[in-house]
Amino acid sequence: MRAVALRLGGVLALLGIWWAVAAAQIWPPVFVPTPAAVWEQLLKTSVTGYSGYSLADHLLVSLGRILLGSLYGIAAGIVVGLALGLVPAFRAVFGPLVTFVRTLPPLAYFSLLIIWLGIDEPPKIALLFVAAMPPVAVATAEAVRGVHEDYLNAARSLGVSPWGLPFLVVLPSALPEVLVGVRVAVGVAYTTVVAAETVNGVPGIGGMIRDAQRYNQTDVVVMGLLVIGASGLAIDLLLIRLQRLLVPWRGKA
Amino acid sequence: MPSPDSVALKGVTLTYGRKVHALDGIDLAIEPGEFVAIVGPSGCGKSTLLRLVAGFARPTGGEVRVGGEPVAGPGPDRGMVFQQPRLFPWLSVRRNVAFGIRRHPGRDARVAELLDLVGLADAARLRPYELSGGMQQRAAIARALAPDPGILLMDEPFAALDALTRERLQEELRRIWQQTGKTVLFVTHSVDEAVFLGTRVLVMSKRPGRIVLDLPHQPDLRETVSTAVRQAAV
Ligand SMILES: Nc1ncnc2c1ncn2[C@@H]1O[C@H](COP(=O)(O)OP(=O)(O)OP(=O)(O)O)[C@@H](O)[C@H]1O
Ligand SMILES: [Mg+2]
Repeated sequence: MRAVALRLGGVLALLGIWWAVAAAQIWPPVFVPTPAAVWEQLLKTSVTGYSGYSLADHLLVSLGRILLGSLYGIAAGIVVGLALGLVPAFRAVFGPLVTFVRTLPPLAYFSLLIIWLGIDEPPKIALLFVAAMPPVAVATAEAVRGVHEDYLNAARSLGVSPWGLPFLVVLPSALPEVLVGVRVAVGVAYTTVVAAETVNGVPGIGGMIRDAQRYNQTDVVVMGLLVIGASGLAIDLLLIRLQRLLVPWRGKA
Repeated sequence: MPSPDSVALKGVTLTYGRKVHALDGIDLAIEPGEFVAIVGPSGCGKSTLLRLVAGFARPTGGEVRVGGEPVAGPGPDRGMVFQQPRLFPWLSVRRNVAFGIRRHPGRDARVAELLDLVGLADAARLRPYELSGGMQQRAAIARALAPDPGILLMDEPFAALDALTRERLQEELRRIWQQTGKTVLFVTHSVDEAVFLGTRVLVMSKRPGRIVLDLPHQPDLRETVSTAVRQAAV
């Protein structure tokens, strides 16, 4: 109850400040739209849409891209992380590469992806994939290397072959950290989706924001940001739920 | 042909890195069905000795044989109980115990039997983190017993438990050993525990570990072992 009250209070306080700043008219509405204008935009876009698509359409398309890119990224990240953690030679060769990709800003390689893959869905999904993969790979690799040898030895004593160990022991032991990596990866995919939708991004929340920016429709921009943030928050809460469900022993073993 | 449950070490040395001589020239022959209790000061190489027999590590010198064959790696003929329970946290107690017999036909009946043996029948569905320390250790023992290893290796399995639980588990272990007739290598810090459980007691010296006393169970063993342990520590 207290936590809910606290959060609600925080949101209300921020809204209050925003409203006060907008009402003071220090800056014109093109810079700081009023909460009321943004709210109206939210209703209008939900009903009549923007650039021919309703808000729900924009959001769903973006979420679909995030989901697809994250899923590919997570799957590849787990495989790469396992290999990085288990095979020293692989780590020596590809470890620096993963770090290299991880430090690149997504926009930097997006141009390259567009040259290679065109301007439709493939470069967008590829961008999200490249962005989401490293956090999972790094988390998985670290977790794999951190598995206590007693667990591996116990399993070997119980008849598990060297090929069985990664699946029967290493991955399940690493699961708590892998899931932390997944949360980070989905977050990164979220922050990247706007970049991915800068080119031919309508429908899509990022595309909508980009489009609105061109016509100085600041209320739409702010509304889009809020929608992205709120949906990201909701997804993270879902992921936390999933974490509790899948690794109830976290912090207790 | 030596029995598959016999253990023999010949001139075994183990050096970690260049300088840490953990074991130095260990000669030891263990007959099937013996309950060998090993005591010695901290850091003298007791865990190292068990790890060698388990096949988790190889000696830098000498030879470790189980059932007459040189040890090439771990195997279900040797069950290991670690100082920490080391149960797999993602599996229920039942599935932990079943881990070593995943593909055996009579698995479920065997698991039920083992859980009864260690008094955990009611905890079968729980996850390890939902158990007390003593219950976890009992589950770990059941897990090690599942593939019916001829040899049981136990590294201070009761060290972290309170006195009452420890005594109960000692009784249980003795009962299990009497029922199954396994060969047991049991490492402990406690002279009382060694004398209570062991049919044979080994005392190791401080690093580099050597065997300084090797006696079968007999009257006055407690005194003799206590004296030897005290001397080994200096
Ligand atoms: N992986 C390792 N690398 C380097 N040195 C090690 C390693 N494992 C053990 N040692 C050293 O080898 C010696 C023997 O260790 P071991 O764990 O066998 O002792 P122990 O008799 O089991 O001690 P304790 O009673 O405290 O458990 C110790 O001095 C320890 O520091
Ligand atoms: Mg030890």
